[in-house]
Amino acid sequence: MKLEGTHQIEAPRERVYQALVDPEVLQRCIPGCERLERTGENSFAATIRAGVGSIKGVFDGNVRLEDLREPEHFRIVVEGKGAPGFLKGFGDLNLEQEENITNVNYSGDLQVGGTIASVGQRMIQGTAKMMAAQFFTSLGAEAKTGVGQIPPQHGFFRTALRWFSGWLRRIFRKR
Amino acid sequence: MIPAQFDYQAPATLEEAVSLLASDLDGAKILAGGHSLIPAMKLRLAQPQLLVDIARIKSLAYIREEGDRILIGATTTHYQLESSDLLKRICPLLSECAKSIGDVQVRNKGTIGGSLAHSDPAGDWPAAILALGADLVLVGPNGERTVKAADFFLDLLTTDLQPGEILREVRIQKPEGRFGEAYQKVPHPASGFAVVGIAVHLVLNDDNSCKSAAIGVTGVGSKAYRAPAVEAALAGTNLDDSAIAAAVKHVCDGIDPNVDLYASSDYRCHLAEVHTRRALQAAKARVQ
Repeated sequence: MKLEGTHQIEAPRERVYQALVDPEVLQRCIPGCERLERTGENSFAATIRAGVGSIKGVFDGNVRLEDLREPEHFRIVVEGKGAPGFLKGFGDLNLEQEENITNVNYSGDLQVGGTIASVGQRMIQGTAKMMAAQFFTSLGAEAKTGVGQIPPQHGFFRTALRWFSGWLRRIFRKR
Repeated sequence: MIPAQFDYQAPATLEEAVSLLASDLDGAKILAGGHSLIPAMKLRLAQPQLLVDIARIKSLAYIREEGDRILIGATTTHYQLESSDLLKRICPLLSECAKSIGDVQVRNKGTIGGSLAHSDPAGDWPAAILALGADLVLVGPNGERTVKAADFFLDLLTTDLQPGEILREVRIQKPEGRFGEAYQKVPHPASGFAVVGIAVHLVLNDDNSCKSAAIGVTGVGSKAYRAPAVEAALAGTNLDDSAIAAAVKHVCDGIDPNVDLYASSDYRCHLAEVHTRRALQAAKARVQ
């Protein structure tokens, strides 16, 4: 399955690039990433609890960064398996700067097999798109802070925001 | 094919169900008809700790008129909606949509509330509910709130239902004036899910021109959606073939159509255009 898209991040290209190859930042930004440990210069072991709605699965796997050309390009190669199936794929990320905005263009190929592919095939692409959007939203928030600054807490922040918007909505509905 | 272990509770009232759900916000799941949740559990794609079965709460299954509205309880089955004389008379889109769902077994057990709360990107009900501009009543530990159908579906399998909330009722304004409705669907040959599904609610002026068109689309995007560009292009026209052909070109505007083994993005969009046209023509022919 082909995956491609573009996301805009309001930060200089160097900062976005650093964030994208920083395992600590990645762990905070990848939806459901519970563990991301360095196993080599550019390789990592990861545990990701991925899912939408009530459908969830835990995947264990490896992430490798290749072809690093700071600050414009790298390739990410992932391989993982879990109870619901396995996944394997790569993505090429190209970063372009336009004034203060960085366009991250990604294109790649993802293969998914096992239970999740045989019964959830029609939803895999939607799930991937949704997770990519969540990832880049978090990354955008991360990249806006400087290196070494305390990054925002996505989990907490998102929950608080959701609660607040729900509360506002309820107030206005009562009128 | 054997689910992970879970607890099961069948509360007698909705209040009891809300408090059971609140007792374990992460692990508890509402069970209605079970036609999406149980298969997912059998494959261990979903592993809830506790199932709260609301299908046994008798007072949650009903279809009734109240003033200018139709009220539908969340655990009303597809079959009850399909066979309701009231709906056939005053809101035939709902009966037609119900008839197109799955097979007899699914329609006998599956519920409208379950389908809406699950928000399958290829579910049939979301399209019909959007075209009818329904309101959804949600109940949670802090009481009740009403959400417009257009604000309810957020993304793939994701709705505005907050942890601890249960969908209780669907409220629909009784259609008025000279209206016609139709649901057109391309069912997936294996699952019966909508590859595309188009729900149309059309209202005509006395001179047969289009007063308003409401179009709900399912199967195409990551969630069901209204097609405002098509609706705007139809308003005021006489709904002849050329007006419809020009309008349906906009049915995928702003949408990144789904891709799966059955249909590519272009093919799916093509299907959506063709079936929007057919649904509009059928709805127009049914105006009295």
